[in-house]
Amino acid sequence: MRVYVNQQAVEVLPGMTVRHALISAGLLDRLKAGQKAYDQWGNEVGLDGALAPEMKINVK
Amino acid sequence: MKNLRLSLYCLVLIIFLAAPAGAREASLRLLYVNDFHGFAEPYQPLGATELLGGAAYLAAAVDRLRTGRPTLLLAAGDMIQGNNWANLFQGKSSIELMNAMRFDAMVVGNHEFDYGQQVLQQRRQEARFPLLGANVRGLPLLKPYVIKDVQGVRVAIIGVVTADTPTSTHPRNVAGLQFSPPDAAVARCLKELRGQADLVVVLSHIGYSEDRALAQKVPGIDVIIGGHSHTRLEAPVVVNRTIIGQAWEHAKALGVLDLDLKDGKIVRYEGHLEEIKPSLGGADKEVQQIVRQYSQEVDARLDRNVGETAVDLDGEQTRLKETNLGDLVADVMRAATRADAALINGGSIRAGIHQGPIKAKEVYAALPFDNYLVAIRLTGKQLREVLEHGVSGLEKKAGRFPQVSGLTFTFSRTAPVGQRVKDITVNGKPLDPGQEYVVATNDFLAAGGDGYRAFGAALKAGSGYREQGGALTSKNLAYINPGAWLRDLVIEYLKSQKTISPQAEGRIKALD
Repeated sequence: MRVYVNQQAVEVLPGMTVRHALISAGLLDRLKAGQKAYDQWGNEVGLDGALAPEMKINVK
Repeated sequence: MKNLRLSLYCLVLIIFLAAPAGAREASLRLLYVNDFHGFAEPYQPLGATELLGGAAYLAAAVDRLRTGRPTLLLAAGDMIQGNNWANLFQGKSSIELMNAMRFDAMVVGNHEFDYGQQVLQQRRQEARFPLLGANVRGLPLLKPYVIKDVQGVRVAIIGVVTADTPTSTHPRNVAGLQFSPPDAAVARCLKELRGQADLVVVLSHIGYSEDRALAQKVPGIDVIIGGHSHTRLEAPVVVNRTIIGQAWEHAKALGVLDLDLKDGKIVRYEGHLEEIKPSLGGADKEVQQIVRQYSQEVDARLDRNVGETAVDLDGEQTRLKETNLGDLVADVMRAATRADAALINGGSIRAGIHQGPIKAKEVYAALPFDNYLVAIRLTGKQLREVLEHGVSGLEKKAGRFPQVSGLTFTFSRTAPVGQRVKDITVNGKPLDPGQEYVVATNDFLAAGGDGYRAFGAALKAGSGYREQGGALTSKNLAYINPGAWLRDLVIEYLKSQKTISPQAEGRIKALD
């Protein structure tokens, strides 16, 4: 399944979560520094949140 | 006369609009949580500066908000699996807590299936509220919907869970079950419910984007209370005249949606998320006692012996060389997945275990991460790339150093990065670059953690997942089980052995 993290396309397995998408994009450490992950509508999403195909996540 | 007639007409119209004969006005409050995952104790999430959540604080907020309006308390799935507080009791603790909080209904989430159908049946029997799942066939314990009479307002609550459930738990947990598309199930229920309900609430565990799509596709839903995507929806949104709410995760928020109804139609709504954290004060004593009781039991269970080792298990040098603990963990991974080989990053192993009896908490300390198993088909060429990456950070003692099972390899410490791995065997035979091998690893590496890219590349090349008979099939994905942590599989293995005495077997040899 393909999702996008800060416009970067990453491939994740079915059942994987926001955490895995951020690992794949190399951006998980930004959350340790206090940044957060948001969906395409601007809502914060938890690291264990389910992904949807073509979902767009923004870390900021 | 004409003016008098007009005035009378206006008066009648005003009276009719203000209070038409037989008009029914009602107010209702929906309180909701989703994706609790057994996080009963407050905790400090990644990047947060204070403790958040806590079931006792959640329960106190529920009690406070129950006053003043007729209220329903709803759960949108994934309540009984995740944290040790729930896992060690297969979700019994979560149900006890929810009974004390007087939940009115819950939809099953995909993780409610992680302990198998028999356990789910037990949890259903313990629950003093209905479990819903309109799009699950083959499991009579789930109701498609319930109708609650809330002070004269008939509220239909339909439950739907993600159709991807078979891909996110072990196939045996969903054997014999069918998960149909949620939209079709909701449409079917709406047809059955015609004339029986004043308000239709869909309790969904399909994710926020799917909730929006459901609202677009199926008219006639008044409210969707969602879960699965752990979305922090600070205020409900309206899509195609359907109000959608979701309350983040882990009891860090309580959703509140106030509805005013007139003749069975919503004429006003207001909603928000109530923040839940200890610093705001106020804890429900009964729930606090339940949380404390199970937390003490967690400590007691983790203090129990689960096995014995005749030798020290080396968890300190797993970033530098093969160790006996690395071998043991990789062997458990290979056996569980029936893979040709297994590989785990040394950085996943965080502590050793001393000779003697082994307590569960020592295994948890050695393997502290919530990692699950994945097995991926790699070519021999890709497997070599994996191992090359594994030894590419020797100078920095990087966590990517591999611990392996089912394979051996030699490497040169001084050769340039990318040319360090020399001879490789799989199951005693030299590696064939063109042959396909099933390699077990953890979800962290499969997602590209520690810089491992070969697993993701293999998955990308073999995409096109499909669910068949409750099992996930795809070209390059051989096994996935997000419902079982690796450390628990290691504990199960230790319990099955009287005493272990693993030795580093020479699977990984440095040539210089």
